[in-house]
Amino acid sequence: MNTYQPLKEALTHYLFFTGKGGVGKTTVASATAIQLADAGQQVMLVSTDPASNLQDVFETNLSNHPKAIPGVPGLFAANFDPVTAAAAYRESVIGPYRGVLPDSALKNMAEQLSGSCTVEIAAFNEFTNFLTDPEVAQRFDTIIFDTAPTGHALRMLQLPAAWDNYLAENSHGASCLGQLAGLGDKKASYQKAVATLNDPDLTTLMIVTRPQSAALLEASRAAEELAAIGMQHQQLIINGTLTDPMDPPSQAIFAQQQNDLQNMPAVLTTLPQAEIPLRPYNVTGLTNLRLVLQAQQPIKVKRLDHQSENYPDLDVIVADLIQTNKKIIFTMGKGGVGKTTVAVQIAQKLAAQHKTVCLATTDPADHLNFFKLNDPVITVRHIDEPQVLAAYQAEVLNTAKQTLGADEVAYIAEDLRSPCTQEIAVFRAFADIVAQADSDVVVIDTAPTGHTLLLLDSTQSYAKEVQRSTGAVPAAIANLLPRLQDASQTEIIMVTLPEATPVYESLRLDADLNRAHMAHTWWVVNQSLGATNTQHPCLQARAQNEGQWLGKVQAISNGHLAVEPWRPDFETALLQI
Amino acid sequence: MKTVELFEPAMCCATGVCGPSVNPELLMITGAFEAMGKVDGVQATRYNLSNNPDTFSQRADILAAMADDTETNLPITVVDGQIVKQGTYPTLEELGHYTGLVFVPADENKGCCGGSGCC
Repeated sequence: MNTYQPLKEALTHYLFFTGKGGVGKTTVASATAIQLADAGQQVMLVSTDPASNLQDVFETNLSNHPKAIPGVPGLFAANFDPVTAAAAYRESVIGPYRGVLPDSALKNMAEQLSGSCTVEIAAFNEFTNFLTDPEVAQRFDTIIFDTAPTGHALRMLQLPAAWDNYLAENSHGASCLGQLAGLGDKKASYQKAVATLNDPDLTTLMIVTRPQSAALLEASRAAEELAAIGMQHQQLIINGTLTDPMDPPSQAIFAQQQNDLQNMPAVLTTLPQAEIPLRPYNVTGLTNLRLVLQAQQPIKVKRLDHQSENYPDLDVIVADLIQTNKKIIFTMGKGGVGKTTVAVQIAQKLAAQHKTVCLATTDPADHLNFFKLNDPVITVRHIDEPQVLAAYQAEVLNTAKQTLGADEVAYIAEDLRSPCTQEIAVFRAFADIVAQADSDVVVIDTAPTGHTLLLLDSTQSYAKEVQRSTGAVPAAIANLLPRLQDASQTEIIMVTLPEATPVYESLRLDADLNRAHMAHTWWVVNQSLGATNTQHPCLQARAQNEGQWLGKVQAISNGHLAVEPWRPDFETALLQI
Repeated sequence: MKTVELFEPAMCCATGVCGPSVNPELLMITGAFEAMGKVDGVQATRYNLSNNPDTFSQRADILAAMADDTETNLPITVVDGQIVKQGTYPTLEELGHYTGLVFVPADENKGCCGGSGCC
């Protein structure tokens, strides 16, 4: 297989890096951007992940406006943060009425403009504006989007077509778009966005994966779903292939990678493929980002003695959950850190202690379905977006039909076709899962941080809306925020890897949870290589770095941490793929 | 010509289906205003704070009635320029009284004018 070398590829004007959490989207996107800029191009790198790590990569604060990156002439970067975009949008609507309308009216407008729908529309408008801005197109030779993990990114890339269709079919002025004035312009912009995404001469979908079954499976899902909406120009980048196995841990990884690559889903085999070998250093900092895609690599062998400390494993957390009789348990963290694996193991351990467990996921990518789960006391649920949407639409229409005639029901049905309705339906499904009472405990595996932050943001803004709502609010929704804030029944477990980026992302999440007064105590550091005593230079590089990150987690958690060792047989032991 | 105007709090959409809960009252109001819109001699219009802040800001009567307690004072119903109800939505009976129309339940008006409409 070819090595990935951006300068030798015929790259299109727009590049979208997507893939499962933790596969290295940001690393590959950043390294690509740096190489192109170093070769003299003007390059724009945009993160659309609400939990973006670009600012860690470049060690500089970023906003939603292009910022020149120190040390890389020609490279500009920005973070499109949905919550910031929504705040700017809110201010653009309310600002002109300050001093004109009473304060209580402004407050009422602001609250209405805080729901998940506003956040989604604002973020999405920022994205389409940038994608279709002729000045941006002219100023930069290459425009690179680093997207959120697959489930969330798919939604963003599918939205231009969804809104375009909705506006085309809507006959009563798209009332659900609220104050988004100038719909005529928006429509043209959405159409142009769709055309840009679907033009193979303009746009390439760069699907990043690890040489592992779960990541490859999710890559194939992204490839299929995005090809279905017209993004046909795709390329596969396999990140982190291990070469020269020389001891049992590295031999185990090598065998697993080769096996998984040979059995990759058929749809991926038709795509152009390139690989990035696993490097004997962590890819952080400009020097290493410049190095990672070079054909010539420095030779550096450093032998290390590990002093592996003894940390407790997951059992210590499960014992505490049982002793304190927790009812609602979440796993949260960056993509790829093993949230689902930890959630599954906790569910199984609770079941072994005679608890009935509902194991659920809020991730549209639904990784739970990868797992072998056939314990009768574990009920598995996931939020099937098309299904919850259809159920919500049917519920509203049935209520409407009891009092209204065919014309009015048709009018309401049209509002219900707004892409916004899906946000509401998903949110209600989330509240229902938290409120479930059929099992003793519900264990909820969440989507990667960005998606989860937005869900928590909605929870808080809806809680405000519920207080002043006159409609019949389902109890599940009314009680949602109070439940999540109640430490006697809820525990949010932070899952991370002993590495820089996942730890930084978790630290930010920790601060967000504190601000929201949500209950969380325990941390899990997953896939620790420290205990394996490997001599392979690539694996050693990772192992040697673990200590400092374990120390950071120990400090922030006040010692409430468990460390799970890296398991070479993990996928065969737990997964059914 | 009867003019009925309804000034409502900020809403995502007129039917309220994109809020955290569905308000049957809003569904009823949506139906009634749709139906009134089809009748000659009645002009029925809804304004809400998030979609039509301009209209609110230009209406001295509405600004005065809102005072600084939007929550208590909206919605406001205006018939031919006179505020007739504030703080709660008008009922179908009241709308009938304002306009001289009769609202009949949806299942009783086959072949008349459809919907929860008015004949």
